[in-house]
Amino acid sequence: MANIVIDPVTRIEGHMRVECEVSGGVVKDAWVSGTLYRGMETVLLGRAPEDAFYVSQRICGVCPISHSHASSQATEAALGIKIPEGARLVRNILECAQYLHSHILWFYNLAALDYVSPINALKADIADTYALAQAAGTKPSDYGAVAKRLTAFAENGQLSILSGHYWDHPGYALPPELDLIATCHYLEALEMQAVANEVVAVIAGKFSHPMTSVPGGTAFVPTVDKLDDILFRLVRVKDFIDTALIPDTLAIAPFILDAATYGGGTGNFLSWGVFEKSDLVPENRYLPRGMSQGLKPEGVSPDDVTEYTNHSWYDSPTGLNPKEGETKVKFTEYNIDDKYSYGKAVRCKDLSTESGPLARMVVAYLAEKGGADIAGGADVRTPAKLIDSTLEALGVGGKPEILVSLLGRVAARNLEAAYVADLSLVFVSELIEALKGGDVQYWKAAEKDTGAGVGAWEAPRGSVAHWIGLDGGKIDHYQIVAPTTWDIAPRDDNGVRGPMEEALVGTPVEDAEKPLELLRIAHSFDP
Amino acid sequence: MAQEAHGAFYDLLAVRGVSRRDFLKYCSYVAATLGLSEAAAPQIAAALEKGSALKPALWLNGGSCTGCTESMAQVDSPDVATIVLELLSLNYFETIMAAAGEQAEKNIEDTIADGNFLLIYEGSVMTGEDGNTLLVNGHKGTEILAEAAAAAQAVISVGACAVDGGWVAAYPNPAGAVGVQAFLDKEKIATPVVNIPCCPMNPEWVVAMVVQWLLVADDDPALFLEKTALLTKSYTDGVYDAKVTLNYPEYVVESTIHDNCPRRGHFENGEFVSEFGTEEEAMGYCLYKVGCKGPQTYTQCPVTRWNRSVSWCVHSGAPCIGCGGLNWVDNNAPFFKRLSSMQFGSIGSAQPGSIAAVVGGVAAAALVAHGLGMKAAGRVGDGPPMEETTAYDRKHGAKKGGDK
Repeated sequence: MANIVIDPVTRIEGHMRVECEVSGGVVKDAWVSGTLYRGMETVLLGRAPEDAFYVSQRICGVCPISHSHASSQATEAALGIKIPEGARLVRNILECAQYLHSHILWFYNLAALDYVSPINALKADIADTYALAQAAGTKPSDYGAVAKRLTAFAENGQLSILSGHYWDHPGYALPPELDLIATCHYLEALEMQAVANEVVAVIAGKFSHPMTSVPGGTAFVPTVDKLDDILFRLVRVKDFIDTALIPDTLAIAPFILDAATYGGGTGNFLSWGVFEKSDLVPENRYLPRGMSQGLKPEGVSPDDVTEYTNHSWYDSPTGLNPKEGETKVKFTEYNIDDKYSYGKAVRCKDLSTESGPLARMVVAYLAEKGGADIAGGADVRTPAKLIDSTLEALGVGGKPEILVSLLGRVAARNLEAAYVADLSLVFVSELIEALKGGDVQYWKAAEKDTGAGVGAWEAPRGSVAHWIGLDGGKIDHYQIVAPTTWDIAPRDDNGVRGPMEEALVGTPVEDAEKPLELLRIAHSFDP
Repeated sequence: MAQEAHGAFYDLLAVRGVSRRDFLKYCSYVAATLGLSEAAAPQIAAALEKGSALKPALWLNGGSCTGCTESMAQVDSPDVATIVLELLSLNYFETIMAAAGEQAEKNIEDTIADGNFLLIYEGSVMTGEDGNTLLVNGHKGTEILAEAAAAAQAVISVGACAVDGGWVAAYPNPAGAVGVQAFLDKEKIATPVVNIPCCPMNPEWVVAMVVQWLLVADDDPALFLEKTALLTKSYTDGVYDAKVTLNYPEYVVESTIHDNCPRRGHFENGEFVSEFGTEEEAMGYCLYKVGCKGPQTYTQCPVTRWNRSVSWCVHSGAPCIGCGGLNWVDNNAPFFKRLSSMQFGSIGSAQPGSIAAVVGGVAAAALVAHGLGMKAAGRVGDGPPMEETTAYDRKHGAKKGGDK
């Protein structure tokens, strides 16, 4: 028995440690630890409700839009506000832009380094690269120029952010031409994620921290000029997804098919739902609310959440729903048999439950297969269409259970990007039509200042919920379950592993000095 | 770290598709941002050209949300900015680096051992729970910062959290967050620090300071502060109760947001947004009445703007929440309360930094005087800028709120 420790786990938001017990080249047990405590929920107490919108989004600089929306929804639920139609559409477009930014950044700039070797790309034949790009249906780039740039970089000898890479690991299995294509798209993705975020800037002032989705609706009022600024950028981003992200996913998958055999985890999936329809009913969202155990769908409510603290550095009661839970920090020591994380063990219906794009796509897939029209008749590539066609393309048609794997988690995120890109244009069209009709509203004032509510929503990386209690216009209770909290949860009081811990168990490790497979799994959750 | 020469600078530029002309234009832009005259452009170009080896840098995350890293990814002029950033060898940058675990730690150790590097620090310094509120492979975040900062030539602390603890240090500061300068002062580490405010910080401001450091680093890094146009302010740090000196790039904080606001004309005319989601907003009226902290916040947001100059908070309809100010959450919340009734330290026992109080007081007083002046001059008709009904409302006969 040997323990492999990865600390820090990099290419993530925040600070995280992974410890695995390995025997016979396979992970037998795993402990995942969040190693930073900042005290957001305590800071919010005693403040005004709109302050929660501005402060609580700062829990995460990668998915601040989703936190801001969850916070505003919690306040709106507490104060009985139903946001107007204009605000619904503006918020949907803003959320889409963040999803597109986040998914592009994740696949190319954060995850790709686990699969793609820019050094191996130096061996690529340029003509063959063009031929491969054409065969794969991926957009052409100036491969020769990028190869020259890479050569200059490699000859310089100072690898900067690429120092300490694992590229001599046998897990890097792509042909040099595909490495070159993906490396070109790594550079272009840096540009495209910024273009997606320019849409965020138009609507919300800046990214990261957005400014306009305030409780009651939005402070942003669209004009023709601003809609134009939004639309042409969204079209450009959608084009990149269709001509790079999706074809690259399909081209790379056959070289990492072993990733379909491990990394699946608990197989329990949660989605709070995201992208509102006009009725504002969570179960009816474009990515609907729901849960599944072993690909069997069921309903879910924020009341089903429990947080355990026995393995976490908190001196707070264990086993409570966040509407009554508290967060009082107390560090003891790092001890995998006792307390070992600042993350609480959050559970849904007392199950260790994964959240994120795979969970959302599975819940949506099952809803669609059950007859739901989740896209509301819009002409878009729906989750079921995207998943079924991808399974066909990979030669595993009709076997959705293969999604419950590392490969499934990677692919689901990119397929979701295609759905969201389509939806973003639907929302812009709806907003234009609404504006033509005139008399669109964007904000409503609260008529009371006391109440309690929850905003349960989905960030690109997973489920997010904010619970608020307001008394006389001041916050007297605030609890957040952030996306990463779901997935990097430690053991609960019953000793059951968290979702990422469970996904690590059973993973083959080829080289204990360079545990590439473990990093791939950790990164696949986009923690 | 190998510091071998790697060919002529302009060959590198050519490989990256950048012409010499574009590069010199960029140097002029940097000169302007640094508060230098355009005549300094050739000097900047020369400083950047001479480096045959990349200068090393570490980007450390403390108690951060990674928002400043994200902001950095949105930097303008990617081709040319990439060149400048590629003049750095970023040997440690948690969010984007290839290495993890032991390899990542080795990158830090090697860089510290070699010295001559720039430290960029994002996030709060976490001192709570005896420094255990941030752990990296069993090491306290505070220990890592102290070791790296002591060996660095200079520190650029990016974003409100690194400047003074940010929202994490807001009352009651359960995690014991402080800013980098306060922490280094307490540890008696004398490495010069430049502070870039805002939550997140604006990436263009960081690039300018990186260039500034590159200009002096090879000759005498001690000149970094001396040669940089800085506004040095002192304030009392809430946690250590010590006087801390904060060095801000002058070009970032020399004027208020209100001074440069494109909506300023509407302020002068008494045309305000009184409620979110109204036609007044679509017409770009002033957001002062819904709580805008522009008059008391010293940053260049309206000039530099955000996300490649696409927009900034006020342009999109949001009142400034003053994230560029010291102790910004305690000093500016509740955010929708307008300046005329703002209270410092209204939450709990949090005490505002003295300089912020002075700055805020001056701004508030100036604003009152300004409003009276406007009334006396008769340019706003029968009311001061704080009127309950906007000029637009009066013209259209009725109050037009969000609910029609």
